[in-house]
Amino acid sequence: MSDIKYILGSFGDPDEMMHGIEKLQENNISIHDVYTPMPIHGIEAKLGIKRSRIDIAAFCFGITGTCCAFALIYFCAVIDWRVNIGGKPSFALPDFIPIMFELTVLFCAFGMVLTYYASTHLFPGRAPRVMDLRATDDRFVIAVDAKDNVEHTVIDGLLKDAGALEIKYNERKYISYE
Amino acid sequence: MSGHNESILREPLITGDNITYAKITDDILGPVENKPNKAWWIGFTFASLGALLWVVAVSYTFWNGIGAWGLNKTVGWAWDITGFVWWVGIGHAGTLISAVLLLFRQNWRNSINRSAEAMTIFAVICAATYVVSHMGRPWLAYWVLPLPNQFGSLWVNFNSPLVWDMFAISTYFSVSLLFWYTGLLPDIATIRDRAVGTRRKIYSIFSFGWSGSVKTWQRFEAVSLILAGISTPLVLSVHTIVSMDFATSVIPGWHTTIFPPYFVAGAIFSGFAMVLTLLLVARKVLGLENYITMFHIESMNKIIILTGSIVGVAYLTEFFIAWYSGSEYEQYAFINRSTGPYWWAYWMMMTCNVISPQLLWFKKIRLSIRATWILSIVVNIGMWFERFVIIVTSLHRDYIPSSWAMFYPTWVDISVFVGSIGLFFTLFLLFLRVLPSIAIAEVKLLLKTASEQAKMKQIKEGHENKEYVAEYVESLEKFDSVKQEDYAKI
Amino acid sequence: MGTHNINFSEQFEFTGKVKTLSIVGIALGIAAVAYGFLAGDKVMHERTFANLLLMAYYFACVCMSGTFFLAVQYVAQAGWSASILRVPQAMAKTLPIAAVILVVIISAGLYTHNLYHHWHADGLTDPNSANYDSIIAGKSVFLNVPFFLGRQVVFLGIYSIFSIMFVKFSYNEDLAGGLNAYRKSFKNACIFLVIYGFTTPIFAFDTVMSLEAHWFSTMFGWYNFAAMWVSSLATIAIILILLRRAGYMQWVNNSHLHNLGQFIFGFSIFWTYVWFAQFLLIYYANMPEETVYFYKRFEYYKFWFFLNLAMNFLAPVLLLMDRDNKRTDAKLLFVSIVVLLGHWVDYYQMIMPGAVEEGHNGFGIIEIGTALGFVGLFTFTVLTSLSKKPLIAKNHPLLQESLHHQL
Repeated sequence: MSDIKYILGSFGDPDEMMHGIEKLQENNISIHDVYTPMPIHGIEAKLGIKRSRIDIAAFCFGITGTCCAFALIYFCAVIDWRVNIGGKPSFALPDFIPIMFELTVLFCAFGMVLTYYASTHLFPGRAPRVMDLRATDDRFVIAVDAKDNVEHTVIDGLLKDAGALEIKYNERKYISYE
Repeated sequence: MSGHNESILREPLITGDNITYAKITDDILGPVENKPNKAWWIGFTFASLGALLWVVAVSYTFWNGIGAWGLNKTVGWAWDITGFVWWVGIGHAGTLISAVLLLFRQNWRNSINRSAEAMTIFAVICAATYVVSHMGRPWLAYWVLPLPNQFGSLWVNFNSPLVWDMFAISTYFSVSLLFWYTGLLPDIATIRDRAVGTRRKIYSIFSFGWSGSVKTWQRFEAVSLILAGISTPLVLSVHTIVSMDFATSVIPGWHTTIFPPYFVAGAIFSGFAMVLTLLLVARKVLGLENYITMFHIESMNKIIILTGSIVGVAYLTEFFIAWYSGSEYEQYAFINRSTGPYWWAYWMMMTCNVISPQLLWFKKIRLSIRATWILSIVVNIGMWFERFVIIVTSLHRDYIPSSWAMFYPTWVDISVFVGSIGLFFTLFLLFLRVLPSIAIAEVKLLLKTASEQAKMKQIKEGHENKEYVAEYVESLEKFDSVKQEDYAKI
Repeated sequence: MGTHNINFSEQFEFTGKVKTLSIVGIALGIAAVAYGFLAGDKVMHERTFANLLLMAYYFACVCMSGTFFLAVQYVAQAGWSASILRVPQAMAKTLPIAAVILVVIISAGLYTHNLYHHWHADGLTDPNSANYDSIIAGKSVFLNVPFFLGRQVVFLGIYSIFSIMFVKFSYNEDLAGGLNAYRKSFKNACIFLVIYGFTTPIFAFDTVMSLEAHWFSTMFGWYNFAAMWVSSLATIAIILILLRRAGYMQWVNNSHLHNLGQFIFGFSIFWTYVWFAQFLLIYYANMPEETVYFYKRFEYYKFWFFLNLAMNFLAPVLLLMDRDNKRTDAKLLFVSIVVLLGHWVDYYQMIMPGAVEEGHNGFGIIEIGTALGFVGLFTFTVLTSLSKKPLIAKNHPLLQESLHHQL
């Protein structure tokens, strides 16, 4: 048993990489993940990744914001300390709407983005789990788990056929792990 | 508009041949990874001197109080609020470009959104400094927040548009920052993976550990789209609320229902002008002609015509309704604006905002970098005057003729304003050094479909309608970054 | 779907049930109007005229927004819409008819003193008369019959000329191909948009705002623009969905609907924004000469006031927020119909309080009948012009982008 943890097929062109994914899948080789310098459309369907449900989260956060804003204003201006301003009723709903809107957006944006950071493990200072340093530059990298898929020569051949410019055998999971 | 079915008629968004993914990274990261050139140092010196002036003027204001400004009992709000509204307006184009153009799938935004968003953030910072400095007692700035306090919890006045404004500006600033920073993550990761030593460590912290895996990208796109969706009404709401600082009052010339959308249009107008002012220089100095092409410049010019005309419609509507209303105060406010002691400011505004942008209808002017650059500055001068006209001319002749007065700025007024421009440019120039001025990942998306070389390949394959190809080649004439001789052969 | 199995000469046949129904609609409309005029007193006549004005204005606005849609597509060089342009073109082609009807109704209303009597009545501008109204007298340079009708004719005439021009360019393109028509459309679209942008506020001030001639709001023009634009988008969506269900235009896919859905969603929010900005500023400043507008609507039309917001804001926003709803034709159809009815309510709100004496407004045979009549008329005229030419502009240079439109 070798120490190889991941086999990386490094492509120079997104279409060739897509082709590589197809080839691997035709041969029942599971793909660990794919690292690209830009979003590739259609890849999530191929890898069977479900549509993001972050929009539902965003909606819930937004509604929370609306309610919080209303509660805050209502408490301050109507319940806690009524002030006669220009003869208007204390509960002047139209005047509440601008702040309700702003807080809806604020809660929605922050709630959603923080959910996103949490679900994809992004936070300041996190050690980048990078397998190939050029995957953020000009390479489209398919990573195959070498422990689960033992026929390394077959994988090698398939990736090369699809147009991989380079095949790497990583003995460490993440090369940039510090 | 994406995908492989893009019509050949569409002009390229990336020019030049032999552009590869690696070259895009190299070109864009050039200024970040190399030592700054002389032009940058000269710019930075001037800008930081300006910022220094700002520090002096604002400190002087803090020490002496706002009596240091030229305000008087009739004109109690002048250059400070003019500067504030001007900066907030400029701060609109960034989010507009990144959000609204994303929703309309205008993919030319990909190469300009990053700097435009950065500009937004710096402009909003400049605006926020005005808010704080014109409070008089800036150390009590937290009083605008609804905090429990020792006065038996006397809350802020939620009916006041100034409180709405506090919520709006802080929401806008933080959401824009979030939007901008989330978009930056993949690009910071690119810098990180190319850097060594301490630089790498620093960028590593700021990259949040971005890896570019499928799921991250997929969620990233979903998040960007929703952020765009909520930023669009947000950007509208911000200037709407700024306009309500004036329009909710009953001062003739301020209280008019068209103010909200009209302020928004004006904000977009000035914001685009500022983007042009900055990018026309940046593309030259940083050598980004292949990514910020003549098509981008022309498109932005078209938006300037559009928003300039909307502003024009609003001016005329206001004037017309002032007459139509039959209210003598309203009528006088407008007559005074155009023919009173501040007639020059009014006509300056009209000329710079409505008349001169019409020059952009001419293709020659629209495509001349020099003319565009000058016009972009003219627009921002005009937009400054617009705010000045609205604010000062509506106030200086109030209901009692004995208290009519003129406003004269002091050196502090002028220095705060000039200084804020210095502050803005200092921040922008620093940004160019440490972060990519173009969204690298988003530009890479365009390479296979919307670049000149991809189109060239398409033409060479020969399946395209001849007339369309001819039209396309003709459209390339305006590009200063395209080699025409390549097309003579085909 | 592939482009090879598209029938580029597919044509709509306007026959059968739809045709019968549209004629029945027109007949009902005529009957309702006749009832209003014959059975009622002066108040009833006013109400009938107000309804005629409402629907004629609505009809003209939807048609001219069709032209606006075309112009925007050309100026923005939009590719996605190239294969559905025949629908807004059919609407644009109907504009001359709508324009004539509107002008006739306005003139009849003016001369019989059933419409615009707030500024058009004996002695209003005569200082010696008991009826003298100094505010109206101040506006009489602008609000007088010849100038008023002149503006109507000129504005609607210009819009109609451009409408016919755009349609003609597109038909010529079918025959000749090439880029000539495309270039000309682009150029004229720019000119049209400038004219349209500068004149529609005045058009709205005239036709609707002057019903209550004392009242004024600078926002009113853009508020009307938002209403007409949303209702026109909803109309386009309805026509497309129904045509697709009837077996026509199979190249229209869910992504096209998605786009229209997004527009309806977005511009409904825009409408709400404009409505609310106008409302809030007037509410906040609380000046009697301005609040009179909302006072009337809130006191005498409270139900409609809230219904308006529910149909034009809540319904599209809540129902179209979800991506899948924009792509499902049944749901989009439902929302479009709600929005279309909603803007009737919107116009009802704008027009009735100024055109009908307080307490004499209502909702009954005349309202429903007139609306049905104009719906029938719209269906009949638009579908007739749609059936004249193929349903696809086969030589549109960006057609391939539209046929492969995917979101």
